[in-house]
Amino acid sequence: MNRVINVARMQLINKWIFLGIPAIIMAGAFLVTLAIWAMIPDTGAAKYAGSGQAVMWYFMALGIQSLTLTFPFSQAMSVSRRTFYLGTVGLFAVVALAISVLYYGLGLIETATGGWGMNGQMYALGWIAAEAGIVQILFYFISMVTLFMIGFWFATVYKRWQATGMLVASIGTAAALLGLVALIMWQGWGPQVGQWFAAQTPLTVAGWAALFCTVLAAGSYLTLRRATP
Amino acid sequence: MNRPTHAKAAAPAIELRDVSKEYKDVRALDGVSLSLAGNRIYGLLGRNGAGKTTLMSVLTGQGFHSSGEVAVLGGNPYENDRVLSRICFIRESQKYPEDFTPLQAFRAAALFFEHWNADYALQLAKEFQLPLKRRIKKLSRGQLSAVGVVIGLASRAEVTFFDEPYLGLDAVARQIFYDRLLEDFAAHPRTIILSSHLIDEVANLLEHVILIDRGRIVLDDDAESIRGSAVTVAGAASKVEPFVAGRTVLHRETLGSLASVTVEAVLTDAERRQAADLGLEIAPVSLQQLVVRKTLAAAEEDSATAAATVMEVSR
Repeated sequence: MNRVINVARMQLINKWIFLGIPAIIMAGAFLVTLAIWAMIPDTGAAKYAGSGQAVMWYFMALGIQSLTLTFPFSQAMSVSRRTFYLGTVGLFAVVALAISVLYYGLGLIETATGGWGMNGQMYALGWIAAEAGIVQILFYFISMVTLFMIGFWFATVYKRWQATGMLVASIGTAAALLGLVALIMWQGWGPQVGQWFAAQTPLTVAGWAALFCTVLAAGSYLTLRRATP
Repeated sequence: MNRPTHAKAAAPAIELRDVSKEYKDVRALDGVSLSLAGNRIYGLLGRNGAGKTTLMSVLTGQGFHSSGEVAVLGGNPYENDRVLSRICFIRESQKYPEDFTPLQAFRAAALFFEHWNADYALQLAKEFQLPLKRRIKKLSRGQLSAVGVVIGLASRAEVTFFDEPYLGLDAVARQIFYDRLLEDFAAHPRTIILSSHLIDEVANLLEHVILIDRGRIVLDDDAESIRGSAVTVAGAASKVEPFVAGRTVLHRETLGSLASVTVEAVLTDAERRQAADLGLEIAPVSLQQLVVRKTLAAAEEDSATAAATVMEVSR
């Protein structure tokens, strides 16, 4: 257990990667969005911005970085792959949880200040903001963990099978998605699929994402178990 | 957790039984069996690509073997934190996290190596003139090696591997490494495995030599007994040849009527006197020469076997 925590501490020795850069992205996206809103003439209609997502996408890169840059070094530090995995994913989960709570808080402030005084919606997006606080936090949290695990899994595939593995994994994923779309079109399931998507709530989306995430987490671990530095 | 020390001493530090490792078309390790008691400085010698790094990777759970059994400090090192926490292995091509400085690498090492000595690390870094706050990716090859050497020494791990630690280090830095290694080993005895192909340079450090060639252990013996295990006999060919007859010849050079033959033999005093009477010169063989001769002899034997096989097949 102690070594697992030490892996998290090792990932934090360079504070920029896990803390500094996300903080800058969040502050930057926030300020730029406010500036843009201020420039848009007020028509009375709500102003939407997806800039709140910016930091979530960074987490995909973070998943890749924390593996490719730190895994070979962790091996030299005599850390087992299991310990490295638990420490890295655990640290990430804590960071994601903190950001989720922060987003929820920012959403509350956004609502209370009438969209930062400009009728804007950046954090309290209509679809999510109507849900209970805990559901909102869960939704953000699972979205970020999923993005991180996607990055992490691709990085483990790369680490183990290099470019060939990446190519096979990317083409395989694309082919599977394409096949699924083709199947839906061919079977004329379009309307039902549309209805199904429309019926999803943040909670059910979080549930599906959590399921997907668990598969990725198990897949990454099994891939990492046989990876060499 | 605090087991009595004699319990530790019971198991050999390193034990391999018939360990093989196959890559696509090469056998990087071929039926390696070794038993190293520990608390000594071992030299792992061999040519580039002989299997030194592969062997060390397997011993530290960083790499995988295809068959056989591996035990380090009494347990299989793979995914075994109890064993791993007592081992240190910095690769020759070790990668460090992006933007890490040597100082940050040392701080990380302090988290994982129980016996890490931060003051000693800083003192070593100073002696190697290592810029502590420069990013590792901007360091020269020699400085990069120095980072690994410092971590290896300051970790004071029970089993420490040095993988060609001198690459890019200048003569002065190499001497500093050899001196510090001996000093620190004397003060904190532990098992050191030093892989090298600069054999003459490290010969004096080594207490035990393991020679690996194309994945096979060619030699595994005390450095002392190896040094005395071969001699070069030089003189008139007509006198040299009868003298070496029946002995294992490692190398033979002739120039006109003169011959110089290296044989695997421990000469008795009587034999030495006999050689002197015949006008033959007996010279000791350096570890490096011996290793070169042994490796080449093993290769010759191999090609002879291969040729025999080919003949068998063609028949």
